[in-house]
Parts: sequence; C-alpha cells; structure tokens
Amino acid sequence: MPHIPTDSDVYEVFAQSGHGTALNHVGSIVSPRPDAAWHLAKETYGRRDDLVKLWVVRRTDMIVSSADDRGLLAAKTRMPYRQPGFPTARRRDRSASPPAVAAPREGRDSGLTERRDDAREPGLTDLWLALADDLFVLGNRLGEHIVDYIDLEEALAVGSIGQEALAHAGTILVLCGFDQPAADARFFDRAQAQWQVSRVVERLTDWPSLVAGGLVIAAAVAVLAEQTAEAAQTAGAEQTAGAEPGAAWLPAITAIRDEQLVHLDHWRRWARALAAWPETRTEFARAYAEVTERAGDMFGARPQSPAQGVPAGAAPAGPALAVTLHERLAALVGENGGPGSRLPDGPGTRTWGVGGSALADSLSRGRTVRDEYAPGVFS
Amino acid sequence: MPMATAAGHRCYELWDPMPDEVREGARRFAAVQALNELVGVLQYVEWLDRAPSHTRRQMLMAKIQDEVGHGHVVARVAEDLGMPRERILLDYLEGRTKIHNIFHYSFATWEEVGPGLLLTNSAAITQFQSLAKGVYLPYARALRKVEREESFHYQHALDLTHEILTHGDAEQRRRVQEGFELWLPRILAYLGPPDTDTLHTNRMWQVGLKPDGNDEVRQAWLNKIIPVVRKLGLHVDPALVRQAPSGEWEFEMPDWAQVKKVIANGGPSSQRRLDWVRRALDRNAPYRRALQGVA
Ligand SMILES: [Fe+2]
Ligand SMILES: [Fe+2]
Repeated sequence: MPHIPTDSDVYEVFAQSGHGTALNHVGSIVSPRPDAAWHLAKETYGRRDDLVKLWVVRRTDMIVSSADDRGLLAAKTRMPYRQPGFPTARRRDRSASPPAVAAPREGRDSGLTERRDDAREPGLTDLWLALADDLFVLGNRLGEHIVDYIDLEEALAVGSIGQEALAHAGTILVLCGFDQPAADARFFDRAQAQWQVSRVVERLTDWPSLVAGGLVIAAAVAVLAEQTAEAAQTAGAEQTAGAEPGAAWLPAITAIRDEQLVHLDHWRRWARALAAWPETRTEFARAYAEVTERAGDMFGARPQSPAQGVPAGAAPAGPALAVTLHERLAALVGENGGPGSRLPDGPGTRTWGVGGSALADSLSRGRTVRDEYAPGVFS
Repeated sequence: MPMATAAGHRCYELWDPMPDEVREGARRFAAVQALNELVGVLQYVEWLDRAPSHTRRQMLMAKIQDEVGHGHVVARVAEDLGMPRERILLDYLEGRTKIHNIFHYSFATWEEVGPGLLLTNSAAITQFQSLAKGVYLPYARALRKVEREESFHYQHALDLTHEILTHGDAEQRRRVQEGFELWLPRILAYLGPPDTDTLHTNRMWQVGLKPDGNDEVRQAWLNKIIPVVRKLGLHVDPALVRQAPSGEWEFEMPDWAQVKKVIANGGPSSQRRLDWVRRALDRNAPYRRALQGVA
C-alpha cells in the first residue's frame, strides 16, 4: 500500500540540469528547519553543475509507493496489449499464418439448444466463469464512461479499472482452459440465454449504480480469489491438471485479487462521496440498495455444461462454500461506509438469461461487425 | 540548450518571466489540443462496443483512455497558464472554440476505422514532433509523452487495417480502400492551408511556438505515410496524391471554404459531438460536485 513517510526533517531534492529535460530526483537532505532546506539542498546537490531548477519537498508531504506496490506498478506485464510491440507482433504473426478458412458458423447463436448440466454441483470454476461474465459486461460499461468527463483524472482511473475488468475476464477463461478463439466465441457469440450474469448487471446503467455495482463485483472477485488461492495452496502442485484451480492458478489469481482490491477502494471512495454529498445522497442510497439486494447471487452460479469449457470432474463447490463466500462478501461490502446495504442474509442462485436490456444491447452491438466476417478473421 | 529551436529562441519554464504572447500562445495551443483530444476521441468511442474481439476491444479501450490522457496532460499545461479545465469544454459548447475538421465526421463502417485511425494518428505524430520543438517547455514535454503513446495507436491502426486487408473478403477490402480515399483529403485539410509564403509573418512562428509551417508538416507526413499505405496493399490514386520528380508531394487542394464550414460545426457529426459533450457534462455535474465537495 502507498504510504506517507514519517521522518519529518527529511527533504527530497529534485533538480533539472538542462533546458527541456524533466526534473530528476537527486537525493535527500536532513534539515531541522523548513526555511533552510532549499539552501542546504543547494549546497549539497548544486555545488558543481549549473542547475536550471532546484525543488525541495518535505518527505512527510509525499505519498510514496511501498515494495508490495510493484505488481500494481508493472504496467507492461499487466497491460501488454498497450505496448506498440503488441499490435506489431500480431500483424507479423498473422501475415505468416495462412488466411482464415471460411468454416460454417458453428456455435454461433447455438446457445438455446446447448445442453446444460444442472444436475451437477457447481464447482469453483463455475463460480469463476459466472464472475467472468459480470467482469466482461462491467469492463465494457466502464469503457464508455472514460469519456463521461466527470473529471479527467477520474476518467483515466475508470479506463484502467475497465481494462482490468476485461483483462481479468479473459484471464479467468484462460485459467478455465479456454484458448483465445474459444474465449472470443464465449464473449461474443453466445446468446443471452446462455449467459449467467448476476442480477446486478441489469442495473449497470447510471453512474451511482455503476459505483455500487463496481463495488460489489470487485468485492466478490476479491473474495473468490482469496478462497481460490487458499484452495490452490492446499491442493499443492500435484492437483493442477485440467482447469481445476491448483498451484498454476496462484500467480494470476493473486494478481487479480490485488487489482480488484484497489478497484474496491476506488469504488468505496466514490460511495462515501456520493453518500455524503446532499445533492447525490438520495439517488445513491436508492442505487446502492437496488444493487446490493441483487448481489446475493454473486456465488450462486449453476454448473456450466462441459461444452462451455468446464471439465466434467470439477470438484463441487457445495452450498457450504457459497455461504462462506457470501459472508465474506457481506463483511467486505459492509465496510464501505456508504448507506445501508440490502445484501440478502444468505446466498442466492443465478439464473440463465438475465442481464436485461443492458446485456442484450451489449451483445447485439458486439456482434454487428463480427457477424459480417468469416469465422477466424478476428483475433 | 538542447531544446533551443533553429531560430535560436529562448525557451521558457512555467514560472519564468516570458512575453505575454508566448504565455497566451502556449495556453491557447494547449487548450485547443486538449479540446481536440477530448472531443476527437468520441468517433472511436462510438465503435468500442462493436470491436469484434476481446483483444481488439482491449486495445481500442487503451487507445481511448490514452486520448483522454493526452487531453489531460495538455489541459494541465493550459491550467497552469490560467485556463481552468472546465472552460475548455464549456468554450466549445458555447461556440467560442472549434474542433478540427476531422472530428466533425463519424465512421460509417468498421472498415473505415482502420485507415481513418492510421492517417489521423500519423498526421498527429508528425505535427506533435514539430510542436515539441517549441519554446514553451512544459508543453514540449507533454507532447513527448503524447508521442510515445501515439506510436502504440499507430501500430494498432496498422494491425487493424492489416487484419481486414489480409483476412477480409473482397467487399470488406474494398471498403478499407474507400475509407482511405475518404480520409486522405480530410487529413490534408486538417494540416492547414498553405503558408510557405506567409509563415514568416505568423506571430506564433516568430515567437517560436510554431516551429514549422503547414506545408512542411504536410510534406513530412506524406513522406512517411504514403509508403506505409502502399506497403499495406492500398492503392494510392495519383489524382489524390502524387510525388513530383523533385520529391515534393502534390495533391488536390482542399476546398478551404468548405473546410471552414465544417469547422464551424457544419459537418455531418458536428451536432452529435456537441450534444454528447453537453449531455455528459449536464448528467454528471452533481457527481463532479460530490467528488470535489467531499474531497
Ligand atoms: Fe491523442
Ligand atoms: Fe492517438
């Protein structure tokens, strides 16, 4: 966690030595008196070179990263697709591969006829796949809010949270054994009746509801990630076969948890602001109540059929686990400092085909281009 | 002084004493760019939820976020020079400022997005490389940050265009070609009217904020982008643009009266952009106040 240092007589020194270059951190000094700090810094760091600028800032006035923030700061590993080399490599690889062969659009819109496996107990992977659906929709909604201009810094933060939601949705599918075409088919070609989103999703519309929805989804993902990490650690390395959560899941699941906890903090700050501000208080209270009362189904996924990528032998999660997860969610959501949560006392179940027009519109828009092309063109 | 321009201008940092013309010019340049980044991105946003794969959607979202980020860094430069950020969008809504001609259009097809992106991005990069030689250093540094991100946008645009040209059907490839031919003249116009003969009378050139003339930037851009476009497999119609034996690029001169009309909110999507911004600001005003009021 970023922190505020405590050594109040230390000053960090920044200097610019050439025109046009940026300021550099050059070191620090100790000065018992603030009014002497700049002069002491000049004698320490400005004796030899001509400086253009010398800035001194008290350490206790700074917010600095800690060692455990490194993961959050590793933008290149977290968002590889935004490096110039990423599209360049895609283009090169796809030039080398033979053009896509037009195949029948098998699987597209086949959702209604697909076999379901409701008799089986849901496993951890079922819970993850359902949350991946929520994250995918949430990520897309947040993407639209990048240009909502509540504020510029906020727009950028929303952009990152949205991209991470999309990235996590994709990572979950990879962990569950999907390759990229299968993941795309799942996100783009599945009929709404084959989606198992939380009922929260139909409320992801206006900003207060997005804040509330973002908050409960981030909390749910963090809770399930924590549970999965525990399970994976006890399972050990021998149980990593197939798509079953095992040691191989650990790095990705821990990263997802850490990022979602940051998202959770972001939404909590928003929830506090909207709840405290007279002009938005009532509207947010209503949105928050409506979202939380729908959030009982976070861990209520029904079993997905094997055709959807889940191994038949996935260990059942069982009703006891849903209760545990739901309690952890309630604890995490309850701490937000906002208005009364209406999260149900116990866990509920998910239903196929919900998501309302929010999901329906998103799905049909997502298909407009895709359906005009032969399968395999887009990757 | 590594940042000194060829003309040997003095360079300025935020709190340096500087001529009013430099301060006001830099503020205007930064504010105009901020507005264009923030409104210009909307034509891509319209396609975000139609982006046809998970990876494409991620890349497009990253690009959209970057554009808003460009708006942000240059708005910060303008703010430090006394232009509050709220005024940047407000001036636009109230008709005091205008967006570039290219942002008054929308993409009609997905096939048009790739070439449109490619041409816009590469022209913007060329222009920013020129402006980054200007005398107001905080703006120059902001532009260098922007340029780094533009190189991702450029590669993304190449990939998007290439994907359809290699794997799309004949009709889809034809629409890419049409998109290129539609956007090329618009970008030629975006780079401004010819000014080789008048540049030396331009005050912004004289004070060192506009290091190169429009014609120079346009030639530099064509030098760079036309070979790239050809290599992608697009046909460059000599009626649109051709290279003279001297190496100079010739092109059909834009109808400047028409361009001016478009810029004065007379383009096909002008009203749509204004409406979007107005609605977003109205809708979100209470939330913005909540964020500021509680902080
Ligand atoms: Fe930009
Ligand atoms: Fe860009």
